[in-house]
Amino acid sequence: MESTPPNLNPIALSPWQIFWQRLKRRRIAMIGGVILIGLYLISLFAGFVAPYTHDRLDRDRFFHPPTRPQLEGFHLVVPRYEQQPGNFIYHAVQGDTQPIRFFVHGEKYKLFGLIPASIHLFGTGDDKYPVYLLGTDQFGRDVFSRLLYGSQISLSIGVIGILLSFTFGLIIGGISGYFSGATDTVIMRLCELIMSVPALYLIISLRATFPPSMTSAQIYAMIIVILSFIGWAGMARVIRGMTLSLREQQFILAARALGQSDFKIIVRHILPNTFSYVIVAATLSVPYYILGEVVLSFLGVGIQEPSASWGLMLNAAQNTEYLKNYPWLLAPGAAIFVTVLAFNFLGDGLRDAADTKSI
Amino acid sequence: MALLEIKNLKMDFGAGADALRAVDGVSLTIGASETVCLVGESGCGKSVTALSIARLVATPPANYVGGEILLNGQDTLKMSNGELQKIRGGVVSYVFQDPGASLNPVFRIGNQIKESLKLHRPLTRPSATLSPAGGEGRGEGVRVLKNVITDYDTEVIRLLKLVGIPAPESRIRNYPFEMSGGMQQRVMIAMALASEPKLLVADEPTTALDVTIQAQILDLLSELKRRLGMAILLITHNLGIVGDMADRVAVMYAGQIVELSPARELLRRPLHPYTKALINSVPKLAGGASRLSAIPGNVPRIGNFPPGCRFAPRCPIAKPECSEKIPELLEVEPGRFVRCPFWK
Amino acid sequence: MWSFLFKRLLHMIPLLLGVSLLTFLLMAMAPGDYFTALSQNPQISPETIANLKAKFHLGQPWYVQYFYWLKNILHGEFGYSMAYKIPATALIFERLWNTFLLSFFAMIIAWGIAIPLGIWAAVKKDSWADRGCSLVAFVGLSVPDVLLALLALWFAAATGWFPVGGAQSPIHDLLTPMQQFWDCAYHLILPALVLAAADLAGIMRRMRSCLLDTLRAEYVTAARARGLGEGWVIYKHALRNAINPLLTIFGYSLAALLSGAFIVENIMAWPGLGRLTIEAFFAKDSYLVVDCVVMATALLVVGNFIADLMLAWSDPRIRLK
Ligand SMILES: Nc1ncnc2c1ncn2[C@@H]1O[C@H](COP(=O)(O)OP(=O)(O)O)[C@@H](O)[C@H]1O
Ligand SMILES: [Mg+2]
Repeated sequence: MESTPPNLNPIALSPWQIFWQRLKRRRIAMIGGVILIGLYLISLFAGFVAPYTHDRLDRDRFFHPPTRPQLEGFHLVVPRYEQQPGNFIYHAVQGDTQPIRFFVHGEKYKLFGLIPASIHLFGTGDDKYPVYLLGTDQFGRDVFSRLLYGSQISLSIGVIGILLSFTFGLIIGGISGYFSGATDTVIMRLCELIMSVPALYLIISLRATFPPSMTSAQIYAMIIVILSFIGWAGMARVIRGMTLSLREQQFILAARALGQSDFKIIVRHILPNTFSYVIVAATLSVPYYILGEVVLSFLGVGIQEPSASWGLMLNAAQNTEYLKNYPWLLAPGAAIFVTVLAFNFLGDGLRDAADTKSI
Repeated sequence: MALLEIKNLKMDFGAGADALRAVDGVSLTIGASETVCLVGESGCGKSVTALSIARLVATPPANYVGGEILLNGQDTLKMSNGELQKIRGGVVSYVFQDPGASLNPVFRIGNQIKESLKLHRPLTRPSATLSPAGGEGRGEGVRVLKNVITDYDTEVIRLLKLVGIPAPESRIRNYPFEMSGGMQQRVMIAMALASEPKLLVADEPTTALDVTIQAQILDLLSELKRRLGMAILLITHNLGIVGDMADRVAVMYAGQIVELSPARELLRRPLHPYTKALINSVPKLAGGASRLSAIPGNVPRIGNFPPGCRFAPRCPIAKPECSEKIPELLEVEPGRFVRCPFWK
Repeated sequence: MWSFLFKRLLHMIPLLLGVSLLTFLLMAMAPGDYFTALSQNPQISPETIANLKAKFHLGQPWYVQYFYWLKNILHGEFGYSMAYKIPATALIFERLWNTFLLSFFAMIIAWGIAIPLGIWAAVKKDSWADRGCSLVAFVGLSVPDVLLALLALWFAAATGWFPVGGAQSPIHDLLTPMQQFWDCAYHLILPALVLAAADLAGIMRRMRSCLLDTLRAEYVTAARARGLGEGWVIYKHALRNAINPLLTIFGYSLAALLSGAFIVENIMAWPGLGRLTIEAFFAKDSYLVVDCVVMATALLVVGNFIADLMLAWSDPRIRLK
């Protein structure tokens, strides 16, 4: 027994280390985490990875099918597609190909929205041989590029929305649980009110309070505000419950006996004790914010053309004719699915590792 | 033939490389109508040993790697599920630590007792030509013929009366949550007795109860034993109650029995250093002046047992060789077994 | 039990009032109204518009409007749909009924499949069947309703086996009652299946974990120790207890179901409350939006009350207090 390696002794590890060790053992959670890191990185460099910009129209190629790269010798090449006159059916022209090149010059874009650039990860550099990995939509825009630009909106709304609503939820829930009494009653009734309306109905009513036409940035902010307005309530309720039980515990009583201020006690002692719950809950709720944006944009009351978001792109797929003939328009749906799945994988693993059973 | 004979029982939790030995070579016999106490600090394997008698530990995670448990001469470790169901309740009944958790919250207590009756003592119509009550099973080992009953409700009320529940007629329609802890435990005992077992296993039956109720429940057990004559395996980590109840005592430490003695002699003159330490740590109301000593250190956790004698790290008389080889459980005096070469 | 149920019932009233007040307030904050668009129309004289406005108290402050609205509601009047130009009451109730129908069937399908599957997975814990079910449920949990509905639409369009949206065929009124019934059922199947599929995975996982929790309970060991058969132990003692936590999550699942129905209705052209809400929203028919939100909330609140009823019936600890 003396040969037991010292790092197996649980007392020698901090809670975070134990947490990390447990998390590392859950392969699915790690897969989810890696997928998410990949998705967010790609989204950050969307302008560079995407061969085109999100609003570039190719008026000669509406509903272009996904380009099939082929291997020719040591080169990946793309064929030229020819449209059948009169309809949107395309055929690859045999033998007429161009190699895919990397780091090609293309359209101008702004990296991170700041740095002007024109280098793209891949492309042919020749507009007659476009690389439409996921085809084009009804305006001849590259679905793949729009997917990447759309991810900037869809993915960031999830994270910012969570940050906003959980901050409010934490503070309000902490206050509610700590002070109890009338404050608590009022806050809890409000939470109950918000939570008792089926979410989408409330979202639409909230949407009505904003003017119908706004700039993209305004709409973006509006969606976050709407989703957070609904999201904080559930969080506040749980945090309040935890605060109520924490409040009676020895170390809080001790802090109060030492004369610390209420605010300090809430921020220093109570909220940190709810963190493992909060992190798990946050990870598992990001999908709701992503889906919230998707639904709003899908219904036509969120992100507007020509901006790209996953929900907005799916809107085109609502047309059954399009859907039947151009199924690649569903690609954003697959992207949403993968993202949500990755968040669920990670969240589930986090929950097991944090051992917070109550969620 | 003894009623229960556990021979060299070995049980792991987990299998293969992760296997943790929870019970390591326990041997114990209980004769008919005998009361045996199993004592030891919590986590030493008392409950899993007791549950193993009717094979109530789920496999997996549990894994029986050796030994046998002979109940009426038949090895329960080799029994089929059907045979096990017959002996559960039929031969050995259990009373658990927390009566609030061991009664099903959504069924009336009368119905829960009736369930046992229906299973183990089905109604016999008065006209049936069955052999009179009290006849022993026809050499089938575990089969036992029970007292004939003609009406479940009457029998349930009789049982509730037997365990000292006032106004049993109105109590049978109660749900568990409508009763106090002490009353719940009495119901558990009534339920255990309903099937007229030969052996009653009481796993810390008083730990979850108020102190005043504890004495009442123990009194009830002694009283029932006197009247019904079944054998009792009483598990406790409280040596204070052993003297009044037990014929013999087995002291367990880290999955092994370290001392096995008639109760009176064990209390008067404990042989194993662990038993001595246990007895010294019991507060005595009378003796007043005697020094109370806690045992230094902690019970080793399962899978983390020290080599050699498992008590050695905490033992006041440990010698270097104690950590080298696990000592044998030896009969050092007639009827007294000790797992320590330095018992003198 | 009666006091528990009575309290729950009383609870519903301030809740619905609060929700209506909140939506009304939101609608009042909305820029413009139905008449803003109308006044752009040169064919309608300003006098007509002013008359209409007065009729609907639109010139008054919002709380006065709310008061009139509430008064009407208490008389069973949902006012007049300005966009549809018909009394809102009939419209609302027709849409409410459709949403109820869709949600109800979806619920029956979802619970009817999820409960046995969850039990099966729990009983066969750690077997391949359990792992398979859990993995499928986990993946299923991540498929967004929007995608599911679009896929169903695609399926209907590609195979032609199901109608592509709508609640009845164009010739519905010409059919015999029996045919009308089958026509409705035929239109209902696909949306209900989509909605059920979206809910199924979550319920199954809950059922599994509830049953596993109760199977770990001490009274289950105690029941085994009495010699009860494994089937009896699981299906009587454990399952009977696992129902209670499941009933308490019923409310959450119903809320999710109604939000899901909102999406399915809009994608699959099912004429329910959710679709009406969006239509009213675009028409700036704010009274109708308020009506829809309140009715949807009422549906949820009543559903929760029914769940409370069932819980009180199922759990003696509530029933006898
Ligand atoms: N289902 C189980 N899985 C793994 N380990 C267990 C299980 N049940 C009990 N153990 C372990 O077996 C050891 C003996 O437990 P138990 O018999 O309950 O002790 P006690 O003497 O207090 O009754 C303990 O260390 C406990 O952690
Ligand atoms: Mg125990």
